[in-house]
Amino acid sequence: MSKCVFLWSGDLKSFIGKLSETYQVYLPVKKGTQRFYKKYVPDLNNIVMGEVRPFEPLKAFFFRAKEVVAESFENRVPSPPADKPLAILGVKACDLKGFKVEDFVFSNNTDPDPFYLKNRERNLIISSDCTCAIDTCFCLALGLKPFPQENFDLNFSPIQDGYIVEVGSSKGESLIKQHTSYFKEVAKVQEDERYRQRNQVLQDVETNLKQFDVPSQDRFQGAVERNFDSKIWEDEAKTCVECGACNAICPTCHCFLLYDQKDEKKMERLRIWDSCMIKDFARVAGGANPRKKLWMRLRNRFEKKFDFFPKVANVYACTGCGRCISACPAKIDIRKVLKRLVIGS
Amino acid sequence: MNNPYRPVETDVLEAIQETPTIKTIKVKPKERMSFQTGQFMEITIPGVGEIPATPSSNPASTEIMQFSIMRVGKVTEKIHQLKAGDTIGLRGPLGAGYPVDSFKGKELVVVGGGCGFAPLRSLMYELFNRSGQFKSLYFRGGCKSPKEMVYRKETEDWGKRPDLNLRLTVDVGDETWKGNVGVVTTILDDIKVNFPEAIGVVCGPPIMMKFAIKKLLEMGFQESKIYLSMEKNMSCGIGKCGHCRLGTYYCCKDGPVFTYDKIKNFHEIWD
Repeated sequence: MSKCVFLWSGDLKSFIGKLSETYQVYLPVKKGTQRFYKKYVPDLNNIVMGEVRPFEPLKAFFFRAKEVVAESFENRVPSPPADKPLAILGVKACDLKGFKVEDFVFSNNTDPDPFYLKNRERNLIISSDCTCAIDTCFCLALGLKPFPQENFDLNFSPIQDGYIVEVGSSKGESLIKQHTSYFKEVAKVQEDERYRQRNQVLQDVETNLKQFDVPSQDRFQGAVERNFDSKIWEDEAKTCVECGACNAICPTCHCFLLYDQKDEKKMERLRIWDSCMIKDFARVAGGANPRKKLWMRLRNRFEKKFDFFPKVANVYACTGCGRCISACPAKIDIRKVLKRLVIGS
Repeated sequence: MNNPYRPVETDVLEAIQETPTIKTIKVKPKERMSFQTGQFMEITIPGVGEIPATPSSNPASTEIMQFSIMRVGKVTEKIHQLKAGDTIGLRGPLGAGYPVDSFKGKELVVVGGGCGFAPLRSLMYELFNRSGQFKSLYFRGGCKSPKEMVYRKETEDWGKRPDLNLRLTVDVGDETWKGNVGVVTTILDDIKVNFPEAIGVVCGPPIMMKFAIKKLLEMGFQESKIYLSMEKNMSCGIGKCGHCRLGTYYCCKDGPVFTYDKIKNFHEIWD
């Protein structure tokens, strides 16, 4: 096991305060029944390190929803005005899996994206275990556990009186060294507590899988292709209103639209999140559109996630975070679609 | 690090009306940019947007490039209003072009339709640059009408070249047309090459490509030796924005030139 230390809960805010000297800190805050990432200010209340994933996907901090990517004909990469790197706290395992897809698209290529890369290099990730499951959670079906195992700098496991802090990178390691007075050794009873708690959440997600009859990813192979001409797509797309919420909320969706604008002085090229559910997504100016019908676009969304990405990057582009289930005004449920694809009807 | 979304400032030197709907712009980028035939570029109209287009000029001309653009949308409308002295942007070259080096010593059959004449002119120039390297060279081109045949005079003049076997056709003729009338597949039967070894290149509207491939396969061409230039909604040009996915490929990064065997089993290729 990698290096672990203990942070007393009474010291959390002070530690975050220290972090905020170097970083612009974002962390989950509970409002009603949801959790949202908020920018840290000293009197911020209702911070939740545990529980489940916040409302917004983590990708928003790395692949921004709207970003200037070119100005006039200048080669300089435009920088955001606030130049402190970000520290994102309370990140959950499902969102960390999103990096497998986003990294493949934006960094792991002959033409890396300088905006994404810069954010990946500079930003700090302090993840945390899920301490419960909500009914849309199905990470286990995607082979993930509800506690981070990779892709973090530090991971916080909330336990009685504080957090077990696990080091996941050299950046995390030096952070611990830098603030060594905050941290104590982890006692055996605390490790046992973490073990028990993780098992409890595993069982909660397991219960979800049983209740909603969610198939496991080892049954996904070939499922989209086998059902390419199936009625499932038309059937599932019946209620879709083409809003694109499923794309925006998804931690792996990476498609974007480039658009240009100008005023008297300069022109700008902007990049905004795009949605493959929108009619014109693949349309060419001459008028040809390979996905004229809404159900074809729904099928494309599943093809991309469960056929394209496993073939090109050896990963299913779904993390089981369940956000698309809660976001969909038409109540299209990815778990149900996957189940239908697996059983073929 | 290089910014892949930045266009290079480019001067417009000339705009030529080719057909009622196609204009050729002659441009000179302010930074060094070259391309291999079949690769494409993104043309920026500052403040309006970008379109993907394959240069129609000789790849050997590294300073001045030409693009022949059909007026179909918001950006191409603006391209049709360009005049000498205007400024545009260029991004590229993008994607994979024709592997011309591997054509050495082979028999080549190039089949073009309509707007496909533009990228194919660039290919033909490159093949002419390498004249003598190929066992034989055929060009078969078809258009809707003589009026819509882009570079008609120049293409007809290619007929005088000893290193090229040329035939042209139109769907509907007029008083200026003395040649064949019919779709492009009607002028392929006199081609005499060793089909299993020959290279086929097909570029044009989807329906034309579909039927030309069918015909070439019937004649005995191999799927792995038929090169297609695919058109999808290429935007970022570097396999990230997701718009031009074609099966397990991105048209912009892995194409736009593909051999038929690579993409034949994908859905949506002709839609």
